Amino acid sequence: MITEHGIGKRKPIGITIVIFILIIFAIWTLFPVIWAVITSFKEPGDSYKPTFIPYKQFKPTLYAWKNAFITTRDRTLRALRNSIIIATLSSTVTLLLGAFAGYSLARYEFRKWKNKDIALWILSNRMFPPVAVMIPYFLIMQKLHLLDNLLGIVMVHTTMNLPLAVWLMLDFFSELPKDLEEAAMIDGCGHFKAFFYIAIPIAAPGLVAVYVLSFIFSWNEFLFVIVLSFKKAMTLPVLIAGSLTVRGLDFWKVASLSILAIIPPVILALVLSRYLVRGLTMGAIKE
Amino acid sequence: MAVASIGRKNVKWAFLLPALIYLMLMAILPLGWTLTLSFTKWHANIMPSPKWVGLDNYKYFLFENPRFWNALGFTSMYVGISVTGELILGLILAFLLSHKFKGRNFFRVIYLIPMACPPIAVAFLWRMMLHPDIGVINTILKSIGLSAVKWTTSVNMAPFTIIMVDIWEWTPFMFLALLAAFQSLPIELYQAAAVDGANSWQMFTHITLPLIAPVIVTISLIRAIDAFKLFELVFGITGAGPGSATESLSFYVYVIGMKWFKLGRGSSISLLFLIILLIFAITLISRFKKVRTG
Repeated sequence: MITEHGIGKRKPIGITIVIFILIIFAIWTLFPVIWAVITSFKEPGDSYKPTFIPYKQFKPTLYAWKNAFITTRDRTLRALRNSIIIATLSSTVTLLLGAFAGYSLARYEFRKWKNKDIALWILSNRMFPPVAVMIPYFLIMQKLHLLDNLLGIVMVHTTMNLPLAVWLMLDFFSELPKDLEEAAMIDGCGHFKAFFYIAIPIAAPGLVAVYVLSFIFSWNEFLFVIVLSFKKAMTLPVLIAGSLTVRGLDFWKVASLSILAIIPPVILALVLSRYLVRGLTMGAIKE
Repeated sequence: MAVASIGRKNVKWAFLLPALIYLMLMAILPLGWTLTLSFTKWHANIMPSPKWVGLDNYKYFLFENPRFWNALGFTSMYVGISVTGELILGLILAFLLSHKFKGRNFFRVIYLIPMACPPIAVAFLWRMMLHPDIGVINTILKSIGLSAVKWTTSVNMAPFTIIMVDIWEWTPFMFLALLAAFQSLPIELYQAAAVDGANSWQMFTHITLPLIAPVIVTISLIRAIDAFKLFELVFGITGAGPGSATESLSFYVYVIGMKWFKLGRGSSISLLFLIILLIFAITLISRFKKVRTG
């Protein structure tokens, strides 16, 4: 039997071993998340015990979740709201600028600087270490009175995601036929109209992929948020870090806040799974 | 009409310039500022403005203070071991999952989860599980008769704990990228090899590996560049300790700049860091340049 790649004849026993190994790896992969879910439904006293089965081994409670959404409601909701606003705004700006630039590099020819050189220069911005601009960002935002302000973080996250967005949009647009736009332009349609009414709709999957990727990166970002926020502009990742106090780590709190922060990006990643590898490998690998 | 009459030349720049200007203002300008600051002494807590000191900061980190070399050493070791480990595990898993069987997609979906999680959540969840006395991993180890491991409290163990969590987080990336690369290979090669009686291991080593070698180099470089920026796992799991056994370059820059507010020194060390990453980045970019046309 020839199945997919690299596979010759397969005996059923072989497949059993394969599945066994894959299950082991799946357990290793899922364990921290499952453990966090379990811990988030434990009372503080139980959260330090290695018990797994609710009702049998421990009494499930909503203590951690009530604490997050009732006792410290304002803090949690503000962080959640900030995370949503920052990720939404920064990925919108990223997508807009990225789609324009990607389209330009895919459809027009630049002479003095070659298209490829411009594109690679843009991409190279994604590679330098974030800490290399951390100090100037702090000083700039201080001067602009944008410390602890959502706008400051949105600006920084846009910078962080833009290079990859341009690069991926270039990639998506170059795969699409340009005949439609050319035909429209011959019929008297302007360049901008051709872009908005013809190129954008056919590139929709690529646009969604870039938007969602930027959203995930912004949502997960931690370094710039702790540097640029103290209280008002705090996001969920910073709130998680805040559960480490002088008394130590509150397991139930870490667990519930982490689950809260994990759910949106994981759902988006699952929806986007076809494009995730392409995005993370900077388009080097297409699924 | 006004819009349509803008020439081709202007249109392309109108599309491109917003992104270019944005990156100039928000990436290149700040980098220039970092460069300028790196030649100054500016302890912002007590000094109102920076004072020019030339190359003193660089001299300090390169020759006087061992902490930079310690951070570089730890970060390099961590990058080397994690990326190699992730690559090997990823290859094994991709090899196994290239078999077709029921429920295959289930595993692919499961393996997406770690890399989508916020790294700081990953770090704190592992910190909780690896707690030396009451963490679930040590209690399980003790209950099956093994001795507890000093995951985060031993100078020798802590670096490997960070590496272990990184492997947890990023093996799936390697695996999914490799699997996608496997599946882009022409099936005819395998059919021909099957006719010649090759088994799947032979096919893997003689066809798959040589063909995807360039992909392996590319994704390893991508992973290595990102791994070098290691911050959240150190922040969340060990706080750079014990001592500075797990202090990464990013974390050290953060401490100098944002904890001690030594902005001049912080700038110079972050530029040293940038130069190191540049070597990897240039290699990667030259690969992209070769592979892609257009």
